[in-house]
Amino acid sequence: MAEVTLSNVRKSYGAVDIIHGIDLGITDGEFVVLVGPSGCGKSTLLRMVAGLETITGGEVRIGGRVVNDLDPKDRDIAMVFQNYALYPHMTVATNMGFSLEHRGGSNAEIAERVKWAADILGLAPLLDRYPRQLSGGQRQRVAMGRAIVRDPKVFLFDEPLSNLDAKLRVVMRGEIKSLHQRLKTTTIYVTHDQVEAMTMADKIVVLNGGRVEQIGAPLDLYDRPANQFVAGFIGSPSMNFLNGTITPEGFSAPGILLPLPEAEHGHKDRKAVYGIRPEHFFLDENGVPAEIILVEPMGSETQVTMKLGETLATGVFRERVSLSPGATIRVRPDLGNIHLFAADGGQRLN
Amino acid sequence: MKAELSPRRQVFLYGLLCVLLIPFVFPTWWMVTSSVKPISDIFAFPPQLVPESYDWTTYSKVFELQPFVKQYWNSAYVAALVTVGTMIVSSMAGYAFARIKFPFANAIFVVVLLGLLIPSEVTIVPLFQMFLKAGMVNTHWPLILVPIFGAPSVFATFVMRQFFIALPVELEEAARVDGLGRFKIFRKIALPLARPALASVAIFTFLHSWNLYLEPIVFLSSADKFTLPQALTQYTDAYGGPMWNIQLAAATLTALPVLIVFIIAQKQFVEGLAHTGLKG
Repeated sequence: MAEVTLSNVRKSYGAVDIIHGIDLGITDGEFVVLVGPSGCGKSTLLRMVAGLETITGGEVRIGGRVVNDLDPKDRDIAMVFQNYALYPHMTVATNMGFSLEHRGGSNAEIAERVKWAADILGLAPLLDRYPRQLSGGQRQRVAMGRAIVRDPKVFLFDEPLSNLDAKLRVVMRGEIKSLHQRLKTTTIYVTHDQVEAMTMADKIVVLNGGRVEQIGAPLDLYDRPANQFVAGFIGSPSMNFLNGTITPEGFSAPGILLPLPEAEHGHKDRKAVYGIRPEHFFLDENGVPAEIILVEPMGSETQVTMKLGETLATGVFRERVSLSPGATIRVRPDLGNIHLFAADGGQRLN
Repeated sequence: MKAELSPRRQVFLYGLLCVLLIPFVFPTWWMVTSSVKPISDIFAFPPQLVPESYDWTTYSKVFELQPFVKQYWNSAYVAALVTVGTMIVSSMAGYAFARIKFPFANAIFVVVLLGLLIPSEVTIVPLFQMFLKAGMVNTHWPLILVPIFGAPSVFATFVMRQFFIALPVELEEAARVDGLGRFKIFRKIALPLARPALASVAIFTFLHSWNLYLEPIVFLSSADKFTLPQALTQYTDAYGGPMWNIQLAAATLTALPVLIVFIIAQKQFVEGLAHTGLKG
């Protein structure tokens, strides 16, 4: 196990900068998720840690050692790829023991390690099969087995669940998390799925356009996003945003006046973005009017698309209320969970 | 989804296919049946599709008139060496062009491909002079070296390159993480997976070498060095006319191993060609 440190790490392809100087510290045994939209540089960053991409500038340290110029095999890392990258012409057991074989392990040692990993992942009955004879979830487990069998310092996961169906993804998410709890190996996990990031991470790194937007614990990012990008990216359904102006009476958005906590009135006459998560609306006779556009009952909750003034917003209500499109309801934003962002640049104001 | 054909359409299609098959099957049928006919029956009119009388002595005469076993061996070992050599050269060159970044890689690949456009007739005279200086005329070396470093190998390199390009890069990256260097990745990961492409390279290289005619008649002059296509032309009577039935018996024996190999390996052959990136 080891800590990983990235200092001013940069990556360029010719004149095009992909990663713009990232600083990140990952402590020993931590589970860090790099999350962001497609093209934000998260996979590139992971591949730079793995040694599969060269580093244009800055420093990557694993276990205190600068690894910039080391081959992947010398970095003591293991990686799980998006498409599993299992060797099709080898059995599950050979796939799992392959790296040990090339590091000079004895047959007995390899067999013992493979058995150990197979027992952990429930792969023991599948050891003689070929990858083509396995289901998606089983292949995913073999890929993880191949990673853990070597007991590396760092696990790197590159969107490992994106090829699985929704149900299996939830199961495998749990398996990866419990594997980490068991092995406590430093892990860097890349995903574009913020639900995976929220549920698995000790620490989330939100990336956008090759820059870090925010680093923090999942609930810190959820409760106090540093800017509008993070606020919109973390959370599902995503946060509602209304453009407008802060006035002494509240927040004036097109066609509606929304309440603000007293403390925020100091920003008066400032153009801003009013952010509120869907679950922070309450049905209240004294609330603001909202015209219902769409009702989606989910069983445990009801998701409502509604028009607040001229802006579409989503509300999630735990109550089983009967709502119908076209009707007008009254909703009250939870004043304790209002987020205000600067209209220019999107930085958090409150 | 497969569209179901009506029975009438199926019969029509099978009928059409049978008609289209005739130009492919008839020459082989004619060769095999004529090899056991007396010469007079070969040119009989109306033609005998099925021989009326059988003369099996033609096959023994094939071996009496020429050192046919020796010539068979010559063809076999030359083709085997050419096949193995081409597989080694083309798989390594194809992998290098597909995976290793080096300056002017694409330009060099185009130059290599240009080799396919030059007919062997154009290069045969300079090659003859080269091999004459090297003292290799009337040996099998020209028949081995020219294809390994010539057009057949260029085509094989193209096939292998297309296959390696289609191989997922992640497999090699996983191997790098697992501790393999470039050559081991090639040998342990890429090459075993390239078996279908290698099989097709092996088959068409073997066929090319087995059927080679121009080079042997230029480079070889003694009967015990001849390869089979050249040997076939030697079955002539006192006036230089062909002894048709014996020649066709020799031709049947020549075609036999190739047919057998192709029938056994046709699945791999088609699979390999499908991997050249030419499929949709």
